Amino acid sequence: MLSKKRGYFFILDALLATLVIVIGVLLIFSSYVNVPKSTQVELLSDDLMNFLSNTKIKDINNPYAGIGGYLWNQGAITDQENTLLQQIGEFYATNKLDVADKFIQNLSAGAVPQQFRYEVWMDGVTIYPKTKTPEHIKSRNSTGLLLTSKKLTFGIINRTTSNLWGPYKAEVYVWEK
Amino acid sequence: MGKIIKKKKAIFFTFIAITIMAIFILVFTPQADVGLEKDTQAITSRISSVDDYVSDLQNRYFENALRTTTYKTILSLIFYMNSTGSYIANLDSAFSEVMLSGKINGVPIDTITGKNIMSGNTLIDWNNKIIQTAKDTFNVNTTIIVNSVSVSQTTPWNIESSISVNFSVNSNVAQWSKSATIKATNSIEGLPDPYYLVNTKSTSSYTNTIKKSGVLFSQWDITKTREHLRNGTYVHWESSDAPSFLMRFTNTISSSSCCGIESLVNPNKISPSDQRESYVDYLFWSHRFSNDCAQLYNINGLWDEFRYFKLEFNHMTIYNVQDTATKTC
Repeated sequence: MLSKKRGYFFILDALLATLVIVIGVLLIFSSYVNVPKSTQVELLSDDLMNFLSNTKIKDINNPYAGIGGYLWNQGAITDQENTLLQQIGEFYATNKLDVADKFIQNLSAGAVPQQFRYEVWMDGVTIYPKTKTPEHIKSRNSTGLLLTSKKLTFGIINRTTSNLWGPYKAEVYVWEK
Repeated sequence: MGKIIKKKKAIFFTFIAITIMAIFILVFTPQADVGLEKDTQAITSRISSVDDYVSDLQNRYFENALRTTTYKTILSLIFYMNSTGSYIANLDSAFSEVMLSGKINGVPIDTITGKNIMSGNTLIDWNNKIIQTAKDTFNVNTTIIVNSVSVSQTTPWNIESSISVNFSVNSNVAQWSKSATIKATNSIEGLPDPYYLVNTKSTSSYTNTIKKSGVLFSQWDITKTREHLRNGTYVHWESSDAPSFLMRFTNTISSSSCCGIESLVNPNKISPSDQRESYVDYLFWSHRFSNDCAQLYNINGLWDEFRYFKLEFNHMTIYNVQDTATKTC
């Protein structure tokens, strides 16, 4: 009787062996699944936003944007107590978008690693980059992970007349190329 | 029986292999990066963002909004006095109404002054702007209640405004409720003196802008007084009878304990130029010496440029111009 059922055992054994092989293969391939790591991009967007919102004009040593620099001498920057984000907001409020674009470019050049792209928005308007290249747009549209940091910003244009600008929603978008 | 078991030995090996594989699968299967820790990080980050906003609101935004609306309110009240030619009956009440609603006695002040100053610039307008922007940025609901508004002077050249507010910020993860008293200081330099505007409304519309004199107490002489008069600058004397800037809004011409300021009236800018008064502004229009000619002195040293300029004895000595003075009568 048992000797006649030996074939079933072989079949069952073969099925189990196949199952083991399939599971093994799945296991090997699943270990190669590419899970996007959000941490680095998230940190970078927060870092860039914190840099812009916590650093004051008087704290930077930059020949373009710092005290005694090009913009200071031109009279485009007048308040050394402004944070960089406030200064961007002030440029936006006074419709100096070209200056804002170059200002951000100068300050963030060394702050963001080459493999990342980023944008700075103010009040729903892209301030940097003012002109988006096709590569930039393609990169943004095709990225798997784009993260943003947001802040509120406001300030005073003229300390004598106390003209207030804002409040604006400031956003920094960062993604990997 | 023993033979059967012996023949089934292979299947036991297979089960052992499956068990080991199952353990490997459980241990090494990549886990999705979603969990309690991730949620906690997200909530912490969100709370931190909104907390920064609450801190900015309390420590910077309210003060900035108060400073800008204080300046615009004071400027509007000055233009209002210029338009109506009358003083403000109750400054605190008028200041509060204009600052919060842009109205005075229920009427939009811009329609009276013909200036576009308060429209869209009241404290309520600025509060609504931050409420809307915070909603767009952080998806939080902010409520701001202004309990009281006041304005005062503690130094001669600055006005201090103050508001008491209750505010709350509600997000889907936390709620903030706070009360605060916010103060802002504005310089009065550059603002027109309302006392001049009201008093010359019907005759010459004499506008004199507040500008602090840089002359020290011991430096006054006929030359400095001439410049002082020419430039329409203001000076603060300790323990003088002069009213403060804010007292000039209500025609309260009495001594300010802290903040009295005065200027000299230019005889060339008033009509008639020759009046029997001391030409110190608050004495001039309060007619303090109009019936006391014996106490007035013609300051002849200035008459080449400012004919009919007179001072009473006290100011003549303070400005150190007695050498060129003669009694008026």
